[in-house]
Order: sequence, then C-alpha cells, then structure tokens
Amino acid sequence: MRHRLLPLAAIALLGLTSCRDSKITTYRVPKEKTPAMPAAPAATANAPGATMANTAVTTANGPGLTWSAPAHWTAKAASAMRKGSYAITADSGETADLSITAFPGDVGGDLANVNRWRGQIQLPPLAVAELSGATAHLDVNGLHLTTVDITGGPTAKPQRVIGAIIPVGNATWFFKLSGPAALVGREQAAFATFLQTIRASSATP
Amino acid sequence: MSDLIRQFRDFFVSLKLTVVLIAFSILLIFAATLDQVNLGIWAVQQKYFHSLFVMWRFGDIPVPIFPGGYLIGGFLLINLIAAQVYRFKLTVKKSGIWLTHIGLILLLIGELLTGLWQEEFALRLDEGETKNFSESYRSNELAITETTDPKFDDVVAIPEKFVARGEPIQQAKLPFRVVPKIYYPNAALAARDANTPGATATPATTGIGLQATATPLPLTYKQNERNAPAAYIELAGPEGPIGTWLVSADPRFPPQSFEYAGRTWKIAFRFERSYKPYSLTLLKFSHDRYAGTEIPKNFSSRIRLNSPDGRDDREVLIYMNNPLRYAGLTFYQAGFENDDKTTILQVVRNPSWQLPYIACALMTLGLIVQFGIHLVAFIARRRPAPTAVA
Repeated sequence: MRHRLLPLAAIALLGLTSCRDSKITTYRVPKEKTPAMPAAPAATANAPGATMANTAVTTANGPGLTWSAPAHWTAKAASAMRKGSYAITADSGETADLSITAFPGDVGGDLANVNRWRGQIQLPPLAVAELSGATAHLDVNGLHLTTVDITGGPTAKPQRVIGAIIPVGNATWFFKLSGPAALVGREQAAFATFLQTIRASSATP
Repeated sequence: MSDLIRQFRDFFVSLKLTVVLIAFSILLIFAATLDQVNLGIWAVQQKYFHSLFVMWRFGDIPVPIFPGGYLIGGFLLINLIAAQVYRFKLTVKKSGIWLTHIGLILLLIGELLTGLWQEEFALRLDEGETKNFSESYRSNELAITETTDPKFDDVVAIPEKFVARGEPIQQAKLPFRVVPKIYYPNAALAARDANTPGATATPATTGIGLQATATPLPLTYKQNERNAPAAYIELAGPEGPIGTWLVSADPRFPPQSFEYAGRTWKIAFRFERSYKPYSLTLLKFSHDRYAGTEIPKNFSSRIRLNSPDGRDDREVLIYMNNPLRYAGLTFYQAGFENDDKTTILQVVRNPSWQLPYIACALMTLGLIVQFGIHLVAFIARRRPAPTAVA
C-alpha cells in the first residue's frame, strides 16, 4: 500500500503547481500621508532604482585639461572612468597603458594616491615623512604637477609606474603610465614631453 | 496488479525515463539561456521553468512545444520516488544511496515550493518616512480608495489582470462599476494641450487624462526596467457614467481624487502593495565610500521596527549580507536613490528557504556514507590474508 501511495503523493504535489490566483481584495488602512508631488520626471522613470551593482563612480566634471599625445601612442576609447586612454605597444608585443582620470576633491591627498599606485605594483606604503623624497614637482602651463616614478612587481617581470597628479579647480587629475619597466623606461622621455603639453581648458572635456 | 498499473509503474520506475528527462532538462536550460537575451531572467524563469509547458504563439494561439520545468521536474520527482520504492531496497549497504536520493527529492520539492511560494517585494523609504507596506517589483493594481473618513482609508485593490481583461468589474464595496476601456501593458505618457486646435482626442473625460495622453510602448524585459501600464477607466453608477480617468502605474503619475455620492474617492494605478501588521521607519541611510574616493564601500539602512501591539519597537541595522529577518520575511539592502536619501529594501518571503540546505546536507552525507562503505569494503578486501611463510 505504502508503495502505491508514494508516487501518488508525488503526483498530488505536482498538482500544486496550479498558479496562485490573484483576486480583488479590500482592506482598511490608516490614513496615508499624501506624498509631495514627485519631482521632475527622471530619465529612468521605470527603472527600479539604482542597485549596488551598477553604482556609478562619480568622476570630476567642470574645467578640464587638454593634451597632445605622441603619435606612436594608440588612443583607446575613453570610458565612464577615464577621460583619456592610450596604449603603447613594444615590438615584442608588450603593452603599457596610459590612463587619464579625474575625480572630485583631492581623492585622499598625495600620500594616499602615491600609496595606492605603490600598492598596485606590490610596493609597501610610504610614511608621511618619506613622501617628499618620493615625489617631484613641476610647473607646466600654470598647472602644478606632482610626479611619481616607482618600480616594483616581481623581480623577473618588474613593473614601473610614472605618473602625475594635478589639482584642477575642485578636482584632481591623474596621468598614469604603467607597464613593464623596460617599456615604460623607454617611454619616459616621451611621457615627460607629453606632460609639457597639458594645459587647462575652459570647456568640459 | 493489473497490466495497466504495472505498465504505469514500469514507465515511472524506468531508468530510461530518467535519462530522457535529464536530456530534456539540458535542452530546456540551453534554450532558456539563449532566450534570456530577449526576455530577461524573470520572464525566462516564468516561460521555461515555472510552467508545465513552454508555449509558442502561432498568431494568437499559444501552442505547447516543449515540456516546461514543472513538468520535467515533476516527472523526475515521481521517477525518483518510484525508483526508490520499487528498485532500491533499504539495506545498510545502500543507505548512502537512499540518503542521496532523499536529498535530491527534497531539492526538487524545495525548488517547486520556492517557485510557488516565494514572493519578492521592494520597500522604498525616504529618510524619516514610515511605511507599513512593500511594493511588488512586477505586478500592478488598480486601487480605488474611499478617503472620506479622516482616520482611515478603505481600499479596493484590483489586480492588473482584471484591468487587462477589459470586463466591467462590480465590487460590493464600490457604489459604482469599474469599466476598463483601454489598457496598455506598457505606455509612455505625454502632455496634451486641450486648448490647441488639433490636440489628440482622449478617451478621458476628467482628471489628469485631459492634460496627458498615454501611448502604448513595447513590453520591456530588461532587468533594470519595469513596464508602466496605463489604462482609461470608466466608473459608472446606476444613473450612468461618472467619468473616464487616465491612470498609469508610472510612479510620477499621482492618484486622482473625486467626489461621488457625497463621499471622497481616489483612483490610482500603482505597484501592487503588500501590507504588514508592523511598520518600518528609515532613520538613516548611509553610503560609505573609501576614504577620499567615490568608490562605494558599504550601504546600510538604520531602521526603526515598530509593531502596533508594542511587542517590537527597536532599531535595526540592515546592510549587505546582514538582512533583517522578521515575521517570515527577509529584508535585504538592495539599492538606493534620490541622492542617498532613499533606501530600497528587497523584501522576500520564501517559507521553504531551508529545504535546499537540508537537501544538500543529506546528499553530502549520503555520498560520504556510500563511498565510506565502499572504501571500508575495499580496504578489507586488499588486506592480505595471513599466509604461511614457506
């Protein structure tokens, strides 16, 4: 008997799959405070709100910078995060990446930013007192640049980052050339020349 | 046992059936995965998995073209139970297989119950706002509310499918009939200037519908968008039509008030609501960032939970991976909007949420037992029998 009942019970369970039927309902609720009229139409009227997965990172707007890159750097499409982006490819096929980003505020200050770059090539963070020794300063076209040159990464494949941090209005711009140490070393002169072409523009880039 | 019953039993006990069902499952999952590009995950789940058959529309006629998830899963369940009962004898040697199969059966049942019982709602709260209801992500309702009494509102909530059907609705609590005239499953709203000569004709005779029109839009299946249905609703009393209103589930479209028979009413198309016997107040939403950057670190909502019977009046902190579990519901931090002043909590009811855990534990245990038994037997066999040394 038990043997026959079990499969039948399974079939009965399958019968449960009939849909939950929605019905007209009536109920009494405490008076609702009438909400203020919603603000002006949002562009994403039917989007159910921002989710944490697609949180946009605010990049800086406002006055921007212009520059001219050496001809042998290949421009890549700028993205939501990047104001500019270039690839530099060696004959061996190795590539270095130049990124131009901008964020509101001072993004934590020079020490935090230099240490962030150091962390990216497995270098230990610097203390406050060590910062001045690790950075250089440069004035270009009325802009004040803090430059950094660091080499780290695995001994067999050393990585090098040379970069410039530029405060512009209420934002901070970052020009960062990173890649295999040999390739970045070869491009050092080109990068220095490139930095000299950076100027403030009144228009938003 | 008659021949028919035996054939029936043999069909369900058969291992061939298992293989065919598993092959069908593979095809179903493959097709559903491809179709996700067109339909999005929710619609795909409904069409392929939470259905007995996958339907294809030939013109206006839906034709079943392939067994759906419920049918394949149901047959697998019966097949598994039948095989268990008729093929495997409960012995110590087979106890691992038994446990594994019971785990698998539980897993199938758990998925079925989740499909049937799970409900997902969203709770949007502005800072300082108190709410005792959450709103559906996908379903909408036409709410006709009597607001005459200064203390409470009487609500008649009509699910969207009744509006879609277009048939007149008579409800005992309403002194008028509700006649859906036109229904668009997704619509765009546009301003309409009635004073302009040549302004588009509107079926609306009162309310916002005189200044706005709805035009149908194709249905959207994108995960981050929802359809905003709109409808022209006529209310008709015994003496004739009272008026035709344009209503839309677009959150920007406000409820419209009117007077009838000396009472005040409100009509609105809105996200379907689920009321709770307690309320939540958002005290503070925090969106923490890594120092000096705009990169998100944590999202949290400090909530006051209050039940009118006074049993609960406490503060809770909801943040990622730390939901509030209360009264059979789980409140997850799901999003935010309005410049970090509004939190969006996902409210999930899934009474069978423990079943998959139990099922997996049983299957793991079953496999350990079964392999353990084999291992012990194997070691016992390998152990050399004591032999006399020559």
